[in-house]
Formats: sequence, C-alpha cells, structure tokens
Amino acid sequence: MDRMGLANCWLMKTVEQEAGSLARGLRQRDPALIDYLIQQYQYRLFRYLLMLTGKREEAEDLFQETWMRVLEKGHQYKPRWKFETWLFTIARHLAIDFRRRRQPQSLDALLQPLGTNQTLELEDSASSSAFEQAFQGEEAASVAAALAHLTPSYREVLTLRFHEGMELEEIARVVDSPLSTVKSRLYRGLATLREWLQDINA
Amino acid sequence: MREDNHERAVQLIDKMQVEGLAVEEREWLQAHLESCARCQKRALETERVLRALRSIVPRFDLTLVLATQMRARVQAREIVENAARMRALWISCGLSWVLGVVSAPLLWRAFALLGHRLAISRAVWMTGFALSWVAPAAVVAAVIAWRHARGGNVGEEQ
Repeated sequence: MDRMGLANCWLMKTVEQEAGSLARGLRQRDPALIDYLIQQYQYRLFRYLLMLTGKREEAEDLFQETWMRVLEKGHQYKPRWKFETWLFTIARHLAIDFRRRRQPQSLDALLQPLGTNQTLELEDSASSSAFEQAFQGEEAASVAAALAHLTPSYREVLTLRFHEGMELEEIARVVDSPLSTVKSRLYRGLATLREWLQDINA
Repeated sequence: MREDNHERAVQLIDKMQVEGLAVEEREWLQAHLESCARCQKRALETERVLRALRSIVPRFDLTLVLATQMRARVQAREIVENAARMRALWISCGLSWVLGVVSAPLLWRAFALLGHRLAISRAVWMTGFALSWVAPAAVVAAVIAWRHARGGNVGEEQ
C-alpha cells in the first residue's frame, strides 16, 4: 500500500473510532460529551432552527428541546451516521411537532413564508448595539429581508447546502424528501433569493 | 453569440453552486464567461448572493448554551438513574417469575392441603392459588405502569 493509501486508511480508522466513541458516549449519556457537543454545534444548530422557524424565541426553545431529545434518543445513534445529519433531523422533527402543537389550525404554517412586513429575526433587537449592528452590516439585513420571502422548506435547504456545506444526499435525508425535490428547492431558492436581493439593492 | 449558449451558461452558473460541475462543463463555462460580459455579471451576482447568505451570523445568547448544558446534565443523570432502577426491576421480575414456576407445584399442594383441612370448596382454594400466583406479576405491572405515568408527567412539567 502506498503512503497515500496508508494515510487514507488511518484517517478512515480515526473517523470510525471517533464515531464509535461518540455513539458509546451518547448511549451512556456522558455529560462531558453532551457539554462538548452542545458547545461544538451551538451556532450551527441555532442558525438552522432560526432559518427553519424564522423566530428567535421559537428557535431558542427548540434548541434546548433538540438537545434533550438527543439525550433521550442517544442509544439510537449509529456510528455510521454523520452526527450533524442526525442532529438536524431531530431538530426538524421537533420544529414540525412544535408548530403542530402550537397552531393546530394551520399545520402548513411551517411551510409558508413570513408575512410581507416580517423579517427573519436574525438578531435580538433588544440587545443590538451600534457596534453589533456594524458587525451585522447592511447586507445581512438585506439577506434577512430576502430570506423572509422564502418558505422555510427553501430556507432550510439553502442553509444546509451553503452554510453547512452538506452533500445533496445528506440534505435529502434530513428533510426526508427525494433528491430531485432537494435540487429543485435549491435552484428555486437561489433564484428567488437573487431576485429579491436585486430588488432590495436596486 | 447564440442565445442558447447564454441559457446554458446561466444554468451552469447555478448548477456549479448547487451540484457542482463536471470537468467539461466547467471548462465550457469558463471559456464562455471569458467572452460574455452578461453571463459574467450573472456569475458574479450569484457569488455575491451566496457570500451575503454565508455572511449572516445570527446573534446567539451564550446563556442559552449554559442553560441547555445545565438541563442536559440533570436530564442525563435522571436517565441513567432511571435505567439502573428499571434494570433492577426487570431482574427482580425475572427472578420472581423463575421462583413462581419452581414453587408452583409446592404451592398447589399447600393450597390443596389447606383446603382439605379447612374443608373449603375446591373452587375457593384454587382461586386463592391462582391469585397468589398472579399477585407478584400484577404488583410489578402496577409499579411499572405507575412509574411510566409518573415519568410522562415529569416530562410534561419540564
């Protein structure tokens, strides 16, 4: 075996060992591991939930509930799964259940875009100082406004692809839809986002 | 330049971001973009949109992480403790079942003897035997059901 092959083999073994110890830790509900995972995935999970729900408060509730569910279902995690795929799948199911419980009259609410005057609550308005706003920038506000016009099903695939860098097959697993649906949502989402940003910036 | 070349370029610009391009597609697109200002503008616009999308960082309250970690630690401890308790319960369940099976003939004889001595009808002492045999399992089932209901309530309270 050449040097490259050996390096790949070692890398694969390391990844397998890591996945194995992750599964073991989750099965044993190792508090140190859970602390580490919460720390490690805090921004990514919160951003995904925020993109999915469009509401900061709801995303915060779901953030906590997702980790509680990870603890409950920890024994079901398989080392062959990518942890983030599993995590986002749990978060998505919770978001749907949460919305169904809160607004039983509109089960499709999660699939609708926000109202015309609403925007994605990307930041906590109560705590935003001038310094923080400068960091967020004008462009971020434009993106937030444009994203508000997309349905959550488009927002979620966009964030999974362009923030998380997930493969299309992984996204299909998370959103529980065929690959063709994921692709068409990505193309349409990207096109709509481009149009809205052009309109906003015009 | 032919219009369908522009259409192909526009499709490939999006495909590059969504699915990625094959080598020939990439080469064709590069060559087209070098000679077409309109499609080049479109490609730059798409890149700008994605850069803007990637640049958004939702403000995140770190106390949420601390609160979640705290809650997770408590929940993890509860799950582990409950699992240990349930394990003990199932072991005692299994043992009681084995003992019940082993002691059934003896118990049957004891009930028959007692029924004979006290001149109790056969149906009564047989019912007594059946109840005494079923009682441990019924108690365990009741305890499990009670614990299950209690666990559900604890979850709802949280």
